[in-house]
Amino acid sequence: MAAPAVLEPERALAARVLAGDDLAFRQLYRRHTPRLFALVSRLVGGREADAEDVVQDTWFKATERLGDFRWECAFGTWLCAIGVNVVKEQARRRMRRPEVDWPEDHDPPQAAPLDRVEPMDLDRAIAALPDGYRTVLVLHDVEGYTHEEIGATLGIAAGTSKSQLFWARQAVRAALGSRQKGSPA
Amino acid sequence: MTDPRDNLTPAERRAFEALPREVGPPKGLEDRTVAMLQSRGMLAVPLRPIRATPHRWQPAWLVGAAAASLALFASGMAVGQYLGARTATLAAAVGAGSMAQRAMNVERTSTQYLEALSSFSRWSDSADAGTRERATQAALTSLTTAAREVARLAPDDPLAAAVLRGLAERSRQGSSSPSRTVVWY
Repeated sequence: MAAPAVLEPERALAARVLAGDDLAFRQLYRRHTPRLFALVSRLVGGREADAEDVVQDTWFKATERLGDFRWECAFGTWLCAIGVNVVKEQARRRMRRPEVDWPEDHDPPQAAPLDRVEPMDLDRAIAALPDGYRTVLVLHDVEGYTHEEIGATLGIAAGTSKSQLFWARQAVRAALGSRQKGSPA
Repeated sequence: MTDPRDNLTPAERRAFEALPREVGPPKGLEDRTVAMLQSRGMLAVPLRPIRATPHRWQPAWLVGAAAASLALFASGMAVGQYLGARTATLAAAVGAGSMAQRAMNVERTSTQYLEALSSFSRWSDSADAGTRERATQAALTSLTTAAREVARLAPDDPLAAAVLRGLAERSRQGSSSPSRTVVWY
């Protein structure tokens, strides 16, 4: 029976990356990019080119700050937090309105909780949300962040995060409900 | 009181939990990310292995090598023919029975000697001091020997007598100076 492969500790890999070792970087990249890519893809609404840009920029920033990382949390968590901030910065650079609240001239959707949801439909509904709502919903309902963590990451109050999550869920329910009504019985 | 819409239904929760947390990044993104970090000096650029033998036998190299070999062979042939002809000429000069032939040889070799001397004189500026001195000594030795032979042939010839007097005078002056290199042949 073959012995299980022993993964090199991330701290050792990080030290090698800091010394410029590209092979160590590739190991770290392969371990953490699938999770990072899934997260940022959702945050940018499924736009693959944007997601790739975010992943590259995230790794750039992570490598740049690697020497300052204190290892008080998991490397992947730290990396994803950088990814969330890169998404935020990119949205700001592209002059997209950081939609903290539902636009004033728009009636918030009213929808009942759903008893049947297909994950694929759910991903599509999340992608169609306004940026600010999508970010809070993904971080809370998909990634498991608390409102306090979301507030600290995005620079908003925890109450704002709760409010946005409420309206984001309503919007998703409305989208999924209309889809279910439109589908054949 | 909590709004029931604040909470996810079990079906909604299951749908969120079923969303993939990891997605394989696009092919090529890893290499692009590594290249980006290398271009910014954060990762080392690995040295390419030196291919010792394969490109030595490329067609262009072979053609060049063949041309060089042919040129070397042709040069060897030409030098061989020249030396052979020269040896034959000298042998003919030594072994020729008639004075007419000897006189012709004197005429021909005198011309060659003067051409060689003239050529060296034109380019003597580019020669180093040692070379210039050796060539001058050789020329003077030839001139002395030739003047003696001419004086023997024509004892009353004033030019030969004047040359010999001048050379004798120079020899006397030079005896007090540092030793010179005398070329005998």
